[in-house]
Amino acid sequence: MMNLFTVLVVLLTLRTCSNTYPQQESIVFPVTYLNVSKDLALQQLLVEWDVGKAAHDAELAMSFEIQVHRTGVKTTVWTEFHNVTLDKSGKPLNWIWDSDFPLECMSHSVRIRSKADASKIWSQWSRWETVLGLDTSNNSGPQIFPNEKFVEEGSDINLCCIGRKGQTIKGFFLDPAIHAFNHTNSQVGLLTVKNVPHQEVSYITVYCEESCKEKQCYGHAGFFLGKPPDTPNDFSCQTQDMRIVTCTWSQGGDTYLYGRHSPNYTLFEEFSQKPVPCTASCSEQCSCSWDIGQQRICNITVTVENPLGKKTATDVFNVTHRIYPVAPFQLWEECTDTEITLYWKYQNIGIKLFCQTEVLHPDGNVEVHNSSAMDPQYVTLGGLQPYTEYTARVHCGAAKHFWRWSEWSEARTIRTKEATPSGKLDIWREITPVLGGRNVTLFWKETPNFQGNGKIISYEVTWEKVEDDSKPESISFTSVYNSTRISIDDHSYRISIMAKNNVNYSLPSILIIPRATGTKEELSGSELKEEQVTGTDDGIFISWEPRYIYDSYIVDWCNFPMLQPCDLQWKRFGPNTSSALIYSAAFAPGVRYNFRIYGSVADKASLLEKKTGYLKELPPLLDPVVENIELTSNAVTLYWDSYPTNESQPGFVRGYHVYVSPLQEDCSLKGSEKHVLPDNSVLCKYTIENPEEKRYTVKHLLSNTKYQLVVKAFTGGGETPIVNFRYIDTPFNSNILYLLVLLVTVPSLVAAICRWKMKWVQECCCPVIPSPSKSKVLSFKGFKIGSERVLKISSSNPDILAVDSKAEAQKSHPWSQLSSTPQEEKIDGHDSSWTYPKENKEREFTSTYAPQTPICFENFAYSSHLAVESNPYQISETLETSKPELPVVLYQPHHYFNICNEDAASTPQETTGRKASLRYISRTAVHCIGRRL
Amino acid sequence: MRHDGRLPGVLVAVTKGLLILWAVPGQGGRPPTLQQIQALVRHMAEDAQELFTFYEKNQGLAINHLCRNNHPPEWLRGPETVPRGLQELRGLRGTMVRMAQALQDITRHQRDLNPPGAEILRRLASTHLKVRGLLNNLDVLYPTPSPRPGRQPPPSPAAPAKVFQKKLEGCQILWSFSRLMAKLSSQLEGKNRRARRDRQRGRRGSRLPRRS
Repeated sequence: MMNLFTVLVVLLTLRTCSNTYPQQESIVFPVTYLNVSKDLALQQLLVEWDVGKAAHDAELAMSFEIQVHRTGVKTTVWTEFHNVTLDKSGKPLNWIWDSDFPLECMSHSVRIRSKADASKIWSQWSRWETVLGLDTSNNSGPQIFPNEKFVEEGSDINLCCIGRKGQTIKGFFLDPAIHAFNHTNSQVGLLTVKNVPHQEVSYITVYCEESCKEKQCYGHAGFFLGKPPDTPNDFSCQTQDMRIVTCTWSQGGDTYLYGRHSPNYTLFEEFSQKPVPCTASCSEQCSCSWDIGQQRICNITVTVENPLGKKTATDVFNVTHRIYPVAPFQLWEECTDTEITLYWKYQNIGIKLFCQTEVLHPDGNVEVHNSSAMDPQYVTLGGLQPYTEYTARVHCGAAKHFWRWSEWSEARTIRTKEATPSGKLDIWREITPVLGGRNVTLFWKETPNFQGNGKIISYEVTWEKVEDDSKPESISFTSVYNSTRISIDDHSYRISIMAKNNVNYSLPSILIIPRATGTKEELSGSELKEEQVTGTDDGIFISWEPRYIYDSYIVDWCNFPMLQPCDLQWKRFGPNTSSALIYSAAFAPGVRYNFRIYGSVADKASLLEKKTGYLKELPPLLDPVVENIELTSNAVTLYWDSYPTNESQPGFVRGYHVYVSPLQEDCSLKGSEKHVLPDNSVLCKYTIENPEEKRYTVKHLLSNTKYQLVVKAFTGGGETPIVNFRYIDTPFNSNILYLLVLLVTVPSLVAAICRWKMKWVQECCCPVIPSPSKSKVLSFKGFKIGSERVLKISSSNPDILAVDSKAEAQKSHPWSQLSSTPQEEKIDGHDSSWTYPKENKEREFTSTYAPQTPICFENFAYSSHLAVESNPYQISETLETSKPELPVVLYQPHHYFNICNEDAASTPQETTGRKASLRYISRTAVHCIGRRL
Repeated sequence: MRHDGRLPGVLVAVTKGLLILWAVPGQGGRPPTLQQIQALVRHMAEDAQELFTFYEKNQGLAINHLCRNNHPPEWLRGPETVPRGLQELRGLRGTMVRMAQALQDITRHQRDLNPPGAEILRRLASTHLKVRGLLNNLDVLYPTPSPRPGRQPPPSPAAPAKVFQKKLEGCQILWSFSRLMAKLSSQLEGKNRRARRDRQRGRRGSRLPRRS
């Protein structure tokens, strides 16, 4: 009754409030009851409160502001608004708060205030309701919280250590050490690890140490660090027999939690609401198998769980749509030469299967053949090659609602049966003339067109004369042979070769050997010019002139031309082909290969062209050996006649280079090219471009000089580097020697003769001249001729007597000046009559020399050694060049008479001679005027 | 000749292997001699020390030498007196049975903390095998009636709830075990030396000329 009254009052009040707006806003329903407890296992605060019954009865929509406070933390750690509509049941309200810090670590307090939604006024806060932390009064040591917690990598963890009463926390750390925010006050230590990284170990130990030293001062705890399991991937279920279902899934990444904490898999069937009775086993993949009995529709959920989380995956399926048949077995076959019929068995599970056969061909190609839907237990493989191995295997799947193929059956290798060889052998021959006939070497090989269609057991060679009906000869060879030699006479022969297998012979290949004409050239083709061909990286390119009468062309060559047998090879070309790139694995650089091109018509071949060439030319292996040298003082001729230019060379010899150089210096001979060696020394290079020209003369050499030289042959591949030189010494030039000998010997001889016949010469050339002092003619004083005063000759001998045609000439005559000049120098040790006019004086003399006509006389009695020289100017020049030795060598004779006429004195030679030579002019030579030897 | 740094380790391992082959007689063979037992104990002492050192470091228990207490479980204290002969080793059998069980417990616990194939698991398995080997020798020396069918081995001590406690207990057991084996090896070695000395003295004494 009382309650009813209260409700009526509240309703009346609200009614009144709704009518009078300001009153509505002021209605409050304060919290009348508040209780806080903690769930340590879940680390939750459980808050329970209530407001007045009137609010419940009015079913008010209310808001509550809840604050959580932590001891030791100044600010409120959590504020939350909780909206709820009250009901009439009157049950208290609940709120749960998950603490991020262990609740044991410190006390937590909660307060609440309320507000009706219709009101704008909050009630007063309730009083703080506190739950205490751990009571440490009875602790035997420091306590760490949380302990044994599972922490996900990358998340945060807060730890605390509560010391005993009266103790302070000295150390609080992790092992292995992880970066953490550490906060310790006197009795409680806090450790916060943000974004915990992966560690080598899954269990992290936490140590806490009080400030004392006893054993009980240490506290230990730990937590597991790992990852929640990954969602099972590729989860699917299937069956091979419609009874046992196997579900598979991939395991996912490492959780780093092991043993009992490692991921645990459970399967659950939703339709039957029963756990699947199987134990998952995981290696590369996880799988689980169980008997489903008669159930056809399944809804399987796999759950993987570890302490950090749980993941699920589901597969709903109809068992008949998940058939994964057992692999076919017991394969066997029936075959012909071109067909195989393959049979197999498979497990019958009451549904139709469809099978595929995979056939591996010898060339690596793979063919897939589908079996008949009506009878999927065999397949016929057609279009096969006789006597060929094929490998086949089979797999099957459900014909209807195909799920996946079974595993492959075991592979079976089957060989088809033999058949008659198809195609013809490719045959060729080499004809060698011998006495009374020819030897024909026959070669055969299988072409791509030829199919043995079985094991070739022999080759049948038959030959017969074309012209008459003589009996054919025949011989059979086992399959290891591919050539034979037969002897035939000069008649035309028809040769056929067939291959034989266990079934039959192949079609014969025919070759006509024409009648021999008896000439060797016909067979060897020596009258044909051999053309050079060039090789490339891909082979040797050969071309020939097309002749339209032939139905094919054959090119043959020897793979090993220097060996015997040379491994003859041949290649056939169609009638429209006129070139080919010949390549053989046996081709090697530096080997000369000879190619013969034949035209074939009606099985008769004729030699058309011959080619020779190298795959790649190499430089000559050996240098030409200079066998003979002809040497002069300025030229050398080299001979290397025996140098081969044939097929023994690793390339076509194109010519030679002769390299010459003086030993001590670089070469610069006329007509040569310069060739610089790697050491930068310079050689003279001469090129001979005719390989048959095996001599060369190097000219313009210096005599008496040492030269180095070498002759190198070059091919299309170049030449080898210069390694060794040959050395020569050019001889001394004998002409110069002869000249020198002449220059020394002849004057000496003349001098010797003169000395020997001195008396005679003197008498002949310079007889004794009577003393002028005794002459009456010259012994007068003041003798005058006309206006001219005649010199009075003293008792001394005159040096020169000049008779001038003009009186003026007498005045300026140099000789008079010369005799009277004070600048005359006298050389000690010599006759005082020697005079050495100075050069400047001579120039004066020359310049002042008047163009008059003096007459000069030379007394050769005083210059006998010069008498041999017909040209006195020359002597003057000689003297000039050897000026310092003049007095000693060339003027041994002590008297020199020179009575010159005007013309002679005016010549340049004369002038020069005067400049350099000294003349002693004797006054005693009067009688020699006009005479000259 | 090239010298591989691992060579000494390999040689030691080979030597130990040969020693075990000699020390552990085959099934149904002759009973082991005291020398064989002694050699096996010496080898096990080295192995126990190595296992403890590795375990202590691997489990992060080296701090303050938490495991190295001087109060081993009673069953790991060993004989008070020096065993005088093979007969005196009888008491060792019970210790080895308990030790084999303790090693299994430690191994089981470590499987929760380490991935399969971890080094600590390998070492524990190896030590367990050696303990079993010594037990076999002792079984040959001191045959006991075969256990009755259905009788279970003695239950292992109550498993502590906390991981750290279990690690610590395992570590303490391994420490005590290594101490016990070292002590046993030392005692057997000393006994052997004394025996040799006595034999030599005896031979010398027999050779002394008698005084008439």
